[in-house]
Order: sequence, then C-alpha cells, then structure tokens
Amino acid sequence: MIQESERIQVWRRAARSTAIVGGVFTGIFVALLIANLIGSAILGPSRENKLAAMKLQVQKDPTNQTLLSEVRQLDLKIRRDRIWRLDFAHKAAHMLLASVVVLLVAGKIAYDLGKVPPRPGHATDRGEIQVKEAKRARWAVAGGLAMLAAGMTLVGMSGSVEFAQAEEAGPPFASMEERLMQWPRFRGPGGAGVSAYTNIPTSWNGKTGENILWKSPVPMSGRNSPVVWKDRIFLTGADPNVRQVYCYDAKSGQLLWKGDVPTVSAAAKLEIMEDTGYAACTAATDGRRIYAIFPTGDVAAFDFNGRRLWHKNLGVPDSSYGYASSLETYEKLVLVQYDQGDGTEGKSKVIALDGVTGRVAWEAKRTLPNSWATPVVVQVEGKPQLITLADPNMVAYSPATGEEIWRAECLGGDLAPSPIYAGGLVMAIQPYSQLVAVKPTGQGDVTKTHVAWKMEEGGPDICSPVSDGTYVYLLESADLLICCRVETGEKIYEQEIKGDFRASPSLVGDKLYVLDMKGMMRIFQAGLEFKELGKCELGEECFASPAFADGRIYIRGAANLYCIGQAQ
Amino acid sequence: MTFLIAFLGSCPVTQGEIRFPPPEFESGYTFPQTTSPAPQSVLQEYIDAAVLVVGLLLASHLILKRRSRRAIFVLMIGALLYFGFVRDGCICPIGAIQNVTLTAFDRGYAIPIAAAVFFVVPLIFTLFSGRVFCGAICPLGAIQDAVLIRPVAVPGWLESGLRLFAYAYLGAAVLFAATGSAFIICRYDPFVGFFRLGGNWNVLILGASLLLIGLFVGRPYCRFLCPYGVILRHLSRLSKRRVTITPSECIQCRLCEDACPFGAIREPTGNWPEGEYRIAKRRLALFLVLLPILVAGGGWGGYALKSQLARVHPRVRTAERVYLEEAGQVQGTTNVSDAFRATGQTTEVLYADATRIRGRFALGGALLGGFIGLVAGGKLLVLSIRRRRTEYEADPAGCFACGRCYKSCPKEHGRLKRIRETAAGRA
Repeated sequence: MIQESERIQVWRRAARSTAIVGGVFTGIFVALLIANLIGSAILGPSRENKLAAMKLQVQKDPTNQTLLSEVRQLDLKIRRDRIWRLDFAHKAAHMLLASVVVLLVAGKIAYDLGKVPPRPGHATDRGEIQVKEAKRARWAVAGGLAMLAAGMTLVGMSGSVEFAQAEEAGPPFASMEERLMQWPRFRGPGGAGVSAYTNIPTSWNGKTGENILWKSPVPMSGRNSPVVWKDRIFLTGADPNVRQVYCYDAKSGQLLWKGDVPTVSAAAKLEIMEDTGYAACTAATDGRRIYAIFPTGDVAAFDFNGRRLWHKNLGVPDSSYGYASSLETYEKLVLVQYDQGDGTEGKSKVIALDGVTGRVAWEAKRTLPNSWATPVVVQVEGKPQLITLADPNMVAYSPATGEEIWRAECLGGDLAPSPIYAGGLVMAIQPYSQLVAVKPTGQGDVTKTHVAWKMEEGGPDICSPVSDGTYVYLLESADLLICCRVETGEKIYEQEIKGDFRASPSLVGDKLYVLDMKGMMRIFQAGLEFKELGKCELGEECFASPAFADGRIYIRGAANLYCIGQAQ
Repeated sequence: MTFLIAFLGSCPVTQGEIRFPPPEFESGYTFPQTTSPAPQSVLQEYIDAAVLVVGLLLASHLILKRRSRRAIFVLMIGALLYFGFVRDGCICPIGAIQNVTLTAFDRGYAIPIAAAVFFVVPLIFTLFSGRVFCGAICPLGAIQDAVLIRPVAVPGWLESGLRLFAYAYLGAAVLFAATGSAFIICRYDPFVGFFRLGGNWNVLILGASLLLIGLFVGRPYCRFLCPYGVILRHLSRLSKRRVTITPSECIQCRLCEDACPFGAIREPTGNWPEGEYRIAKRRLALFLVLLPILVAGGGWGGYALKSQLARVHPRVRTAERVYLEEAGQVQGTTNVSDAFRATGQTTEVLYADATRIRGRFALGGALLGGFIGLVAGGKLLVLSIRRRRTEYEADPAGCFACGRCYKSCPKEHGRLKRIRETAAGRA
C-alpha cells in the first residue's frame, strides 16, 4: 500500500514537473509572439510611412532612378519582413499549442493524482439550507433579469436614425429655386453675374462709412469672390503653407469659423503668378455644404458649422499662371474643370465629386490645354448643360453623367473669362480677339452649324461678360466698356472708362456695376446708350467680383470683407 | 492565460489576414485570376451526418451501457478533432438553430441537408439517451471539458441566475435569424477561431476568456450561454433513459456529492422549516401575478428597442450610415456606403427597406422581450415549488452525460468488479 502511494507521488511529481516545463515553454512562446506583434506594430508603420513619402517624391520626380531603386528596395524589405514575421508567427503558434497541450495534460494528471478522496460526514437534514438556496436563486434570477434590462436600456440609449426626417429634410442639396435667390458660386447663379434683387445700394463710401453695414478683416489674402447663402458668407484665403475657408455672419460680419484644408502637395514649390495667388478659386455651395479648391489640387467640403466633411487631393495641377478655375455645383455634385498642361499629356479632365462623400462621381477626360475659366451649369430647353471653355473649344456636358453633348471649335489663347448663357446663346470671350455666341441646342461637333455669330473687334483678357438677354457687356481690364446686341453680336458702343479692372461686371436690374482695382464701384445705365449713374468709393484695393444679396453688396477688399446696404 | 490562448489562435491568423498591396511598379508581372473556393461537396455533408449519427450511437452506448468515463473522454477528443479542427467547427447544431429558423421565415432559403440533420439528430438522441451530444460529440463542449483542470463549484443559486443569459441569447439568435439579419451564434462562436487558428480578435479574446474560466469552472459556455443547450435541457427532462449515478440503487453514501464539476448532481430534499409552506404559497401566488407583468414589460421593452435591434441587419446599418453621411453628421465614407452608392440605388429605396425591416423588429423585439420575461417569471415560479428527492441523482436537465460521476459510486465499483470476475471466469 505504501509502495503504491509512493508510486503515485513519483508520477505526480513527474506530471507536475512536466506541467512546469510546459508552462515555461508556453511563457517563452507567448513572449516571442508578443515581441513579434510589437515589432510588426512599430516597425511596419514607420517603414510604410517612409515608403509612402518616397512614393510621393517619385510622383514629383518620376525620372529619378536612384529614388526609384530605393523605393523598390524598401518595398522588398517590407515584404520580406512581413513574410518572415508571418512564418515566425505560424511556427511559434504551433509550438505554443504544443506547450499548452503539455501544460494541460500534465496539469490535469498532477491534479487527479493529488486528489483526496471525499470523506462525507453524517447526513443531516438540509431542508432549511435548500430553502435559503432557493431564495438566493430567485434573487439571482431577478439580478439576471435586471442585468438584461440594464443592457437593453444601454442599447436603447444608443439612439436611432429617423428616416422620416430624411424625407422631411429633402435631398442633400438646395433646389434650383433656392439657388437662384442666393449667390452660391463665382458670379452668382449660373455664373451670370446678374443679381436676383434690385434693391441694391447705389451709394456708399468706405472712408466715411456711408452705407457700410460692417467691415471685417479677412485673415489670409485671396482673389476669390464672396459666396452668400442666407446668413452665411464664405471666402477662402491661402499662402504657400496654409489654406483656409472662412465663414462670416451676414448680420454682424463676425468671423464664425475658419476651416483648414490640408494638403499632401508641396505648395511652396508651386510656380504661381502673383496676380493669381494661392486662393484665386471662388468657393461654391449647394446650400448644404461649402466646397473649396486650391492651386495645390486640394478640394475640401465643410458643413455650415465649419466641420470638415471630406478632403481630397486631385494632384497638383500643371497650370502656367496657377490654377484659377472656380467650382460649380449641380445638385449634390461638385464640378471641377481641371485642365492642365498643353493638352497632349492627357491630364486635363472635368471631374464631378459627390458633395456628400467626396468620391468621384464621374470624370470626363479631354485633350485640351490649361484654362482659367470657370464652368457654368445652365438650363437649355429645360435640360442642364455644363459649359466649359478651353482652347480651342467650347464643350458642353451633361452635369449628371459627364457625357459630352456638343462642342464647338471657336476659341483660342489663354482663356480666363468665363462663359455666360443669355438670350438663348452661350457667349464666350477669346482674349484680345473676339466674342463668340453659340446656340447650345446641337449635338456633337457644332462648329459649322451652331455658331450664331462672332464679334471680332477685341475682347477682355480677364473679366467675364454680363448680359441681360438683349445686350452683352464686355469689360477690358485696361479701361474699355463694350456693349453688343445679343441677337446679332453687333457692337452698340465702345466707351473708355478710366481704371484697371480685375472684377467682372454685374447687372442689377437696369444698372451695370463695375468695380475697379482701386475699389471704386462705377454704376452705369444698362441699355443702348452709355450713361454713368454714379461712383462709390470703398477706399481699398479690390480684385474680386462682388456678391449680391437682398439689399446688400458684399465686396472683398485686399484685406477686408465689406457689407454694403442701408441700415434698417 | 487569456492572452496566451488569444495569441495561440490569433497570431497566425491575424498575420495571415494581412494582404499585401500589389506591387506598384511595372515589372511585367501578370496578376493571377481571382478564384473562389469551390462549394462544399454534398458527399462531405453526408459524411459529416454519418459521423454524427455513428458518434451519437457510440456515445449512447458508452454512457448508458459501458458507463466508461475513459471511453467517453476518448470519443470526446475524437469528436473535438474531427468536428472542431478537421471540419473547422462549422457544422454544429448550435448554429443550425439559425438555419432552421431562417427556413421557417424565409421561403427563399433552402436549409442545407447537413444543417437539418445536425439540428434534428441530437434532439432525437436527447429524447432517448439524455444529453449524450453535449457529453461526447459537441466540439464546443469538448474543448472546454479538455481544459478543465481544477474544478470549482459554482453555487446552485448563482447558476440559476446566469442561465437566464442562455435563454436571452437563444431568443436573440432566433430573432436575428428570422429577420434575415445575422447568424449571431456563428459570428460570436467563441471557439471556432481556435479550431481554425484564426479569427476576429474580439471573439478570440471572448473564447480565450471562456477557456480561462473553463480551467476552473466546468463548461461555462455550455451552462450559461449555449442556446442549443437550452433546448436540450428541456428535451432531456423527457428522455427515456439517461445517466444515473448508481447502476442499481442509491445507498446515500454521499461519495458522489462533489463528483460533478458542472453542479448537476441533485441531493435528496430535506424537510422545510415550519411555516415555510404558507409563505411559499403566497410567494407562488405573487409570482403567478408577476408572470404576465414580466411578459408584458419585456414585450414593451423589446418593442421600444426595435430601431436599435434592427441595426444588426446590414441593410439598416447601411441606411443609417448613408443617412448620416448625407446629413453631414459623420465624416468620410465607409466601404459599405461606397458600395451602396456604386449600386446606383436611390437613398429613398434604401430608407424604405430599412423602415420595413424595422417594422419586423417591432414585432420580433416584442416577442423577444416577452420571451425573456416569460423565462424569468417561469424560473421564479419553478424555484418556488418544492421538489421531492429521496436519493442523489443526476439532474436530468443539467447533466452533460460526461460520466465523471460513475466512479464515485461504490455500487459502480461493485458492478465493474463483477464484470471483471465474469470475464475472468469465462477466460
């Protein structure tokens, strides 16, 4: 009997020792796996970040063979390391499994061999204990139920989305009717430069403060124009390092928020003309979000409270004077005219981004060179068309799908003035050369069939035209105001007006508002005869086109944003 | 230990899930065509079903006739290896609950033969032999049984409370399967990651935690969470033959008292203290009144959570995400919302679908809540009724038919001795 007991003890000690060995190996393999995991978590991302940075450099300098070779070597190193770690993890995990099995089997044997046989005492009546146990069990059930109820309450607190609200809120963009009453993009609805309101001041003075409702400093410079949506005014500003979107309160002029737009491009290395600057593109809104684009190729969307919803880099545009086309919107799409280079490299395209998500909805590639004109969406016979200009073409697309509708080869040169649609014609300027009108009702190549007329007696190089449907007005940046008849293109008058102009002219009822670089607004009578109605001095340099709202004009000066209107 | 087991299962897998991005340089490399694994052959399903039936027959024989714990253990390890590691743990009656439910609620869904067999056959065996499936065939039970080293008794009263979660889990699994939302039993199968040496981190940690607890507490998943176990518990009460601790009659030696690591041995009942009957009657009346209140309260609570419960359905989740994106309430997009937009469907259709699914959850949530209330109320009633037992016996519902208790009975030793003597005499 004693021998049997000793034999059991020997086996038990052996099992215990085996379990300890199994435990030690288990610990070792766990430590190795942890080290492997930490190694992957620390080394992997740092190397991948380095690789990503090198790839960016490759994009800028694709012919650098040394850099390409380094990228390949690092890429190979990362892959080899991953495979090695994967292999190591597999082997270590199998060894760990074996160690755990040894630990469990030996531990179980050791426990069983050391188990003391039960020695129950005398049986007693356990009635009272059982009653108490049943009581505890009932409380335990109640506790379990309470825990489930608490869990359900927690789940309930996570809130829910009411889709009915989506129906009430309508689509994620403002209607056409709403847009027509706002100033949602460069030169207002359809890029026409025509105010929906006629109760616009005709007299103010920036120096004396007459009819200046407020004046607010703009943190960073830019030549883009104000965009107005109800009680919000949006601008952008930038320098080589920072890009920002600003939102002002229309009532007080208070800067409500400013939103930074990040970049992955080296903006400092961009070659941008001083006249263009780093924030030439005017923002655009669909009534729900504000969108901005910068010459670095960065596009971003913000909600009206300043929260950045998405950001996207389209690649640094190859633009000889610096990218300057402003954004347009159609329903919830953000439309970007992204013409680059000389047109032979296949880099030019028109891009539609989903305003909600930032993803590309469609892309229309084209073999046209860089252009500075802003595209416009117009309604032709009840159907929308996106009109774009780039030497030598005027091209119309479906803004919903990107499908090309028609094109006319009728332009040339560096196209900066944007097109307009009035009197059933799309009108565009070829700088220093001509004004061309095209009937937008054709399909395919309409060069020979739909060009209505050409006015070949010069044309502005920067300012876009404006029209009331009967007459079209051209403003040359030197000092010339030209009026032509929309129906025929016949020149009505050409009047020299003193001043330098960068801002495009605007129409308010039967008045033509023309802002010169010194900040002097010149107001002329629209119509057959040239007649100057007045001058209003702002006292600050102006490069951007003004924005019009109900009873107000918003003008961006070199350093300040002005709200002009009559105090109520 | 938790980390250890998590690592054991997860490391190869986590690493294995890393997919290298394709090389970005033009090297003339041709990408292989993407292939999908071939569907499982029907023959394999028949083989699995046959293995199950043979295994259950063998288990019934070993448990009820041979009464051999060792043989049962060997069979259990064999089942663990085959149904667990060879078949990746993905043919089990627990998950088959969902296939059966979906078949009942979705006319377009055809249940696989193997799933139907795996659901029904263990139920039939339970009716005739008790929970032999749990004791010897179920890989989930087997892996927990295998790691049980130093059992600690869980108080019976605590077990009563914890078992409520298994009913809630069963109800939720049926609801989500019936609405076509998800097979949560499979998604949160805590051990399948170990069988496959890979899986979701959270589930692996859950499994590792259960195994860690399982070192000391016998089969925690089976006892407190397993939804199939809930069904088997009730069927096992009706079984014709089941495990008995003693092969003949109980001599009240109490040697088996602590033999079961799963707390499934019921002691003889004692006499109630004086006055307890009167209190018990009043308590019973109170719980009878409380029962419909609990059912109604649970039903109301489940109904109120319809929107949150419906979120388990992928269509509703997509709709909510897309809505939040469209309303500008979240930043960026997800793969799911991108994929939805790529389909070209309108958000109106998506929202209408989500609203319809929520409608289903209104009824389903109420039924789930009512079911939980019914179970809790029923348990309170059952715990208020006096049972009479004159000897130590295996709890017909809770016994996993593992055979551990046999050797603690001196009568069993006598039986084995007689068998040996008979065998020796024949020799």
